[in-house]
Amino acid sequence: MKAVENALLIAWMKFYPDFRRQPYVIITQAGISAGPLFFILLSGSTAALHNGIVGAMISIVSFLGLTSAIHDVAQDRYVKLREMMVAMPVHPVSYALGVALAPLLASVPGLFCFMALAIWLRILSLASIGLVFVALILGWLSISMIGFTVSTYLTKVPPFMLNSAGHLLSLGLVFVPPVYYSESVLGAFSWISYVFPTSNAASLIRGYLGLSTLHFESIMSHWLTLIGTALAFSFLASFKARWRER
Amino acid sequence: MVKVYGDGVKALQGINVSIKKGELYTLLGPNGAGKTTFQRIISTQLMPTSGKAYVLGYDVVSEASEVHGHISIVPQDVATYGIYTPWEYAYYFARLRGVPKQKAKKTAEKALRAVGLWELRNRTCATLSGGEKRRAIIASALSSFADVLLLDEPTSGLDAIARRNVWSVLRQMVKEGKTILLTTHNMEEAEMVSDRLAIINKGQMIAEGSPDAVKGLIAEKYRVVLEGEITRFPARENEKDTMIGDRYIMYVENENEAADLMKKALKMGLRAHISPVTLEDVFVKLAGGFDNESS
Repeated sequence: MKAVENALLIAWMKFYPDFRRQPYVIITQAGISAGPLFFILLSGSTAALHNGIVGAMISIVSFLGLTSAIHDVAQDRYVKLREMMVAMPVHPVSYALGVALAPLLASVPGLFCFMALAIWLRILSLASIGLVFVALILGWLSISMIGFTVSTYLTKVPPFMLNSAGHLLSLGLVFVPPVYYSESVLGAFSWISYVFPTSNAASLIRGYLGLSTLHFESIMSHWLTLIGTALAFSFLASFKARWRER
Repeated sequence: MVKVYGDGVKALQGINVSIKKGELYTLLGPNGAGKTTFQRIISTQLMPTSGKAYVLGYDVVSEASEVHGHISIVPQDVATYGIYTPWEYAYYFARLRGVPKQKAKKTAEKALRAVGLWELRNRTCATLSGGEKRRAIIASALSSFADVLLLDEPTSGLDAIARRNVWSVLRQMVKEGKTILLTTHNMEEAEMVSDRLAIINKGQMIAEGSPDAVKGLIAEKYRVVLEGEITRFPARENEKDTMIGDRYIMYVENENEAADLMKKALKMGLRAHISPVTLEDVFVKLAGGFDNESS
């Protein structure tokens, strides 16, 4: 219970002062995820736009979860909040969850905008919204835990390289896999959608939104992979993350 | 306590320290002496290579979670997060250490009043001076009810007035029963605030005791400082004497000897003054002396 309370407190510490004193970050963050939609819109394909909106929903929650963990390490060179928390009654998973939850809170307005757009375009129904949320949360959890675990191994890396690492991970895990586009585009390589937590979530959401046809086996495989990766990376963050220095 | 880093650097080579409850104990040493390594091991941030350390009876390696309930730290070279206010630092850190909401508000207020930041509590740290920022961090450590404060160069980079404000806060904390482990390379700070201190150099302890006791570890009690055409003054056969640019510093054991040297210098038209040896003089002697050749 204390661990959950601490995670929520850390999330609030990392979200609220930022949000209160520089609210424009919310627009910036939504803008990054919405960026690819602009180019998709120019292509004029309605199907591509629908897939792009799914990608934006996933991107806004997972991209921020990933980069915030890396950004946290870069910032911690100076403000040393993480260093102070190692010497406090704070479990590393509470900290990791807090760091991941803070950008999730910041992404809520953007996510609601993308969802509202999907409802307006009649691709998202209230009946499927629950499952869409679960897929989004699992994707966010997996990616955030990957970000946290990786970040704990980067404490000695120069800040400029940290930023590059964050961007590369975002490209590799959020923007390049079939998240903004359907895996069917990849033809024989469509199995790639099972590899990344983001693309698993995207495949499921596209299925629930009726943008693609998913067989029962595919749905189960995507859910199992998504749940499996969320659990595996949470486990990894808990046991493998380097919290105390050796 | 021994700590050897992965690259083979021996940061601590068998430091043995016992700190009494309710005292301010200072680790004094030059940069790279091993002070921060020691602090980081005690605060459970870093694992020792060998040796044992206990905080209020709890092993810092195997009982780290119990240790966490009793300590508060201020890391070395810590900067404030510009968008936080001193209030947020003090309140959130108290909450994270398990202090309930209403009590955390009271302890945050007490901590901010103690460091003289209550009036500035709602200003963002970005708008505070260097000393105020440092005091905001110290407030985060004080707001927790922790029995043991581990402070790594908390006054580094502060001006004399801000430094003295922090010293005053530290002595007040000791008066209230806190135990403080302070690291510094500021000799004056160590002399002014410590109940006891240890001088460490190259990972080894070279002296320990109260500031007066440590100053008593060398035979010389006074120093005579000459300025001017010091080359005219006949050099003494004393390896402890030091030349710093155009100043000649001589260490003597008693007042009479100091007075004789001063008279002699004044007769030669040099400027001279006598003062008791400082902790810094003792530190330089014990740490292997000053390199007269390079000066």
